[in-house]
Amino acid sequence: MSESGPEREPPARGAEMVWSIIGTLIAGVLAWGGIGWLLDRWLGTRYLVAVGVVVGMAGAFYLIIKRYGGG
Amino acid sequence: MTAPTLPLAQDEGFHAPGIEIFEWPDIVHIEVAGIDLSINRVVLQMFLVALLTWGLFYFGFRRPKLVPSGLQNVMESVVDFVRGQIVLEVIGREGLRFLPYLTTLFVFVFFGNLGGVIPPVFFPLNGRMALPAIMAICSVLLFISVGISQQGFGPYFKNTLFPPGIPWPVYILLTPIELISTFIVRPVTLAIRLLANMIAGHLILSVFFVATGYLLTSMNIGSLFGVGALAFSVALIAFELFVAGLQAYVFTILSAVYIAGALEPEH
Repeated sequence: MSESGPEREPPARGAEMVWSIIGTLIAGVLAWGGIGWLLDRWLGTRYLVAVGVVVGMAGAFYLIIKRYGGG
Repeated sequence: MTAPTLPLAQDEGFHAPGIEIFEWPDIVHIEVAGIDLSINRVVLQMFLVALLTWGLFYFGFRRPKLVPSGLQNVMESVVDFVRGQIVLEVIGREGLRFLPYLTTLFVFVFFGNLGGVIPPVFFPLNGRMALPAIMAICSVLLFISVGISQQGFGPYFKNTLFPPGIPWPVYILLTPIELISTFIVRPVTLAIRLLANMIAGHLILSVFFVATGYLLTSMNIGSLFGVGALAFSVALIAFELFVAGLQAYVFTILSAVYIAGALEPEH
C-alpha cells in the first residue's frame, strides 16, 4: 500500500462509473419526466410527460458525456 | 397475494412459496404513540446480528497482541480488507477516518445477509426494506455532512447542483437531474440493490427447498428429480453465500465512493 503523491487516481472507479451513469440516466428521466407530468396535470395536456422523459434523457446523456467522455 | 400453484401438482397441492414468506407474526406487540414497535422474528434477528457485530470487534480487539492470533487475526484481516480494498482504493489516505463506519457497515450488512443461508435462521435480514433503507439514509447523511464540512454549505451544494465547466443556460436542464440523482437516486438504488438481491436469493432458495422436499416425498418418478433438485439446492446455498459477501462489499464501496465524491469538488 504505497501512497505516491502525484498519481493518486483511484483505480476502483470503473464499477462506480457504471453505477453513476445508470443513476444519472434514471435521474434524468425521473426529474424531467416528473416535471412534464406535473405540467400535464396543471395544463390538462397529455404529451408533456413524454417530452420530459426525452428531455431528461438528453440532459443525462449530456451530463455523462461531459463527465466521462474524453479528457 | 396467493402463491401460484404448479399445474402438474394441482391435486396434491404443491404451493410454491411466495412473497408471504417475508412476513412474520409479532412475538411481542408494542405500540408507542401509535407507532408500531412490535418485535417479531426479524427484529430479534436484527438484535442478534448487532450483538454479534459488536461482540466480534469487542472480543477481537479487547487485548490486542502484536502477533495476532485467533479472533483478533480474523478481525484484523476484515479491517485490513476494508482499509486496503475499499478506503485506500476509493478515497485515499484522508478516507481513513471513515474506516470505522465503513468496516462496521460491511460486517453488519454481511451478517445480515448471511442469515439467509445459516440454519436454522434461513432468513436474510436485508430482505426487509427497513434495514437497507436506514443504512442507505445513514450513508447519504454522512456524505452530505462530509461535503458540507469539507467544502462549506454553499460551495458544496453549488458544486453538486451546478457542475462547473458548463454554459449557464444548460443548468436549467441539468440542475434538476443532479438534484434527483445525488439526493434521491443514490440512496434509493443503494437500498433497493441490497433488498432485491436478498429477496431474490431467499425466494429461489425457498422454492428450491420446498420443491426438493415435495419431489423427494412424492413417491413416484418425481423422486428422481428430487435428487437433482437437492444437489442444485446445495449449489445455490454456495451461490447465496457469495452474493451475501458481494452485496456487503458493493454497499460499502458505493458508500465510500459517495464520501470520496463529497470530499473533493467535481472538476
